[in-house]
Amino acid sequence: MADDHWRVLMMAAQTGDATAYRRLLTEASSWLKSYYSRRLPPSMVDDAAQEVLLSVHTKRHTYDPTKPFGPWLAAIARYKWIDRLRAMRDSATEELPEDLPARDHAEAVQSAHVLEALLSRLKPAQANAIRLVKIEGLSIKEASERLDQTIALVKVNIHRGLRELSTLAQEEGHEA
Amino acid sequence: MKLDSLIDELTEDLAPVRPRRLWMDSVIVALIAAIELALLFAVGFARLDMHRMMTQPTMSWRLASFSLIAVVSGWLAIRSFDPTYSVRGSLRWLTLIVAICVVSGLFLNGAPAGIVSILDRLDWKSGVQCASKIVALSVPPLVGLALLGRRGAPTDMRRTPLLVGVSAAAWGAFAFVFSCPFNDPLYIVVWYGTGCGLVTLVSRYMLPRFARW
Repeated sequence: MADDHWRVLMMAAQTGDATAYRRLLTEASSWLKSYYSRRLPPSMVDDAAQEVLLSVHTKRHTYDPTKPFGPWLAAIARYKWIDRLRAMRDSATEELPEDLPARDHAEAVQSAHVLEALLSRLKPAQANAIRLVKIEGLSIKEASERLDQTIALVKVNIHRGLRELSTLAQEEGHEA
Repeated sequence: MKLDSLIDELTEDLAPVRPRRLWMDSVIVALIAAIELALLFAVGFARLDMHRMMTQPTMSWRLASFSLIAVVSGWLAIRSFDPTYSVRGSLRWLTLIVAICVVSGLFLNGAPAGIVSILDRLDWKSGVQCASKIVALSVPPLVGLALLGRRGAPTDMRRTPLLVGVSAAAWGAFAFVFSCPFNDPLYIVVWYGTGCGLVTLVSRYMLPRFARW
């Protein structure tokens, strides 16, 4: 987070500077997408980011311009994330009939589970780069923007992460 | 709606705002409390023997305890309307202050022990009336703090309502001290505690519905 830069933009936004506000929201939305991509299913990331931007807009008078903007944004993002988790937990689920024909996804689910377990053993920067580029299908450039890393660093993280994954997978295979 | 179009809409909707000020919120709550107290005195709510009562240790204990709890919890509640403020540590300190106030009051107790004596001292009929008056007197600061909370951006919807409830309840109890005919610390701890507890519970369970954003 570029705290002082954002603080200045938000101060200007509080006085009605639309250019500064647009820039702030654009930069904040990138950060929010990155934040939620590590915490929510991909289908929910955009919705969650939008909800936070709306809250930033309606609660912008609660920002104290003498303090950094990053923690303020992060606190709102975290609050909305917890709200979303609570809503997911409380949302009604319909019981499906026993004889509902459906393709068996067990193998895919198991693979995803194993992959996630292996990814959690990597350094976060490596795991995030692999998730974004190799699983979600983002380009290196998009991933570098989302992760706030240089393109070269994203490539290095993917390369090293995959090598580490391969080693981990082999070790798992030997243990099994 | 895509993020870009949302940003366009929000930018178009942008209007200047005045940043929230802690001291301004504090002044608003203090004004509500002061006006309530002034009105109570104006309608003859206070005891007629107030000047004599003021020399009693239990009177000083009640006034000091409830004003301290009301001010500390009110200040913390107002601070907790800022999304970055962490309430957890503050609540521990407040619990300690409340405990010290209660224990110090019980030390003033020189009345006889025994179950019959305790039941007499509790005088539950008067106690229920006292508790209900405390609840009623807590309403103005509770509403004021709730409105400020709605305007703010509290992010801890469990602890912030507790702080709001404790502050409003303590203020209600403080105001009630001026008309309460009872001086027994045990009675005060039980029935004032009941009234304050009710207000805190109402705040804990109702405020999140009102202030969620």
